[in-house]
Amino acid sequence: MRAYFRRRRQTFIAYGLLSPAFLMVAGLIVYPLYTVFATSLREGRAPNIARLDRLPLGFGNFLRALGDEQVWHSAAVTLFYAAGTIVPSFAIGLGIALLLNRDFPGRRYVRSLMLLPWAVPGVVAAIAFLWMFDASYGVVNSVLRRLGLVTADIAWFVDGDTALYAVLLPTIWKCFPFFTLTLLAALQSVPQALYEAARIDGAGSAAEFRYVTWPGIRSAAVLAVILQTLWVVKDFDLVFATTGGGPSRATQTLSMFVYEEAFQFFRMGYASAVGVLMLFVCAGLAFVAMRWGKQEGQ
Amino acid sequence: MTRNRLQGLATLAACCAIALVVLFPIYWIAMTAILPTEIMLSRNPPLLPPLDRVSLAAYPEIFARKPILTWLANSVIVALGTLAVAIVAAAMAGYSLSRYRTKAQQAMGFGLLASKMLPGSLIIIPFFILFSKVGLIETKTGVVLANAAIAVPFATWLLKGFFDAIPRELEQAAMIDGCNEWQAFRHIVLPLARPGLAASATYVAIVTWADLVFARTLMSKPENWLMTVGLQSFMGEYLVEWSALMAAATVSLLPMLILFFLLEPFLVKGMTQGSLAN
Repeated sequence: MRAYFRRRRQTFIAYGLLSPAFLMVAGLIVYPLYTVFATSLREGRAPNIARLDRLPLGFGNFLRALGDEQVWHSAAVTLFYAAGTIVPSFAIGLGIALLLNRDFPGRRYVRSLMLLPWAVPGVVAAIAFLWMFDASYGVVNSVLRRLGLVTADIAWFVDGDTALYAVLLPTIWKCFPFFTLTLLAALQSVPQALYEAARIDGAGSAAEFRYVTWPGIRSAAVLAVILQTLWVVKDFDLVFATTGGGPSRATQTLSMFVYEEAFQFFRMGYASAVGVLMLFVCAGLAFVAMRWGKQEGQ
Repeated sequence: MTRNRLQGLATLAACCAIALVVLFPIYWIAMTAILPTEIMLSRNPPLLPPLDRVSLAAYPEIFARKPILTWLANSVIVALGTLAVAIVAAAMAGYSLSRYRTKAQQAMGFGLLASKMLPGSLIIIPFFILFSKVGLIETKTGVVLANAAIAVPFATWLLKGFFDAIPRELEQAAMIDGCNEWQAFRHIVLPLARPGLAASATYVAIVTWADLVFARTLMSKPENWLMTVGLQSFMGEYLVEWSALMAAATVSLLPMLILFFLLEPFLVKGMTQGSLAN
């Protein structure tokens, strides 16, 4: 009898402690998610939010989205943007993590400095890169001219041909510290004895990486790639603050498209529908990647 | 011994070379902020600052022309509010997940992934609809709640890792001495988890300080703007005044750089423990 009450009390405490976080997640993530689904079924425009409920219901938004050329264009831009960010950031992040994993004087401060871009607000990163890559007065064009690599002034963020490449740079800059941080953490948990064993077996540094380091950090790497890909796909601070999706939609990612549809044209229903489709694709990809990560690990 | 030392110095040199490239954007912001416009607005700006021309003239000017102090104060209030809400909720939840086995474990894991997956541009639509109905538009409370909701799952996960590393025997001993669960948590566990609190506070502060989407969409009046929204408003002007803009950018940047530089070791430790726990 006493044991029963003790257990009840334990359960009560367990859930009591969880309740504030649970309420926040339920009220501010799950309920909004429900609202997005409900809104995605409302067809038409609603400049006045209170009138949203009076719009007709239907799957029209989804059908329209799948046939919308702009949506497909934005999907392609998003794909390029995500791949163009993740691959270089991962390579840079891993390289720096391997360096920082070595023993050298002043490591603590060098590490902080290397990770610093992560702490820079997206807007500040955006304006810094806009200024550095300015056509007439930007330091990048100036250096390139002095080195004789270019003769014309390249308007990196303004020219439709270069804008999509230009937005990659601040994103990579903001993105790689997360890889460095997670991979460094994983590297430090690889047992030193394994390296010694590999050296005794006569493994070179390439073989050492292939057979000792990589298996040790693989699952952390997969998780970091999934999380960062989701971040790049969903976040649009950097695109928003550098090009705003322009010039003429050249850098309009899906996130940017959704935001514009919702808050510039007030097509809340249509924007929600595209967002829901995005969410399904992301969830599907994350699921597949995680399954793959687990299987490979065994 | 000498060979190790040499290797260490070589690594340090390589790291410094990389850091030079990595930190260049921050350096360039500072350069533009402290040099007169006519030097920086040139076809070939100097890469090193001519020291005799350094001036802080841009600062009084931007403070006079733009309500920077109001924006800064708004940002600080929102960041502190979010910290208070998110850290309290995350500490309690992280402790519960660490010490008690409940069905909530998996739900929290799902919440973490879901919150990582939700595009800001998508979640802002229901926030806007919801907050319009309950009158939280144009209030800091709305922005605090939006930021906290996004930050709580990750902060919870980070803190759970730190709580896992604290032996249960400590609380059990305290409870034998007559503490109840709450007192054991408050007086024994929480003080030991201080590095964890620092790590998650750093995370929450940086993410909230950087927020643009929530603040911009939920508060449209200039007197309610946060620093990030204010900075972005510079860009819309017909002629961008770069040195004024960069001076304002340093104001927004400095608090986070200092915070990050001081508390970064806790964050690395937190990530290590988290990744080991998984």
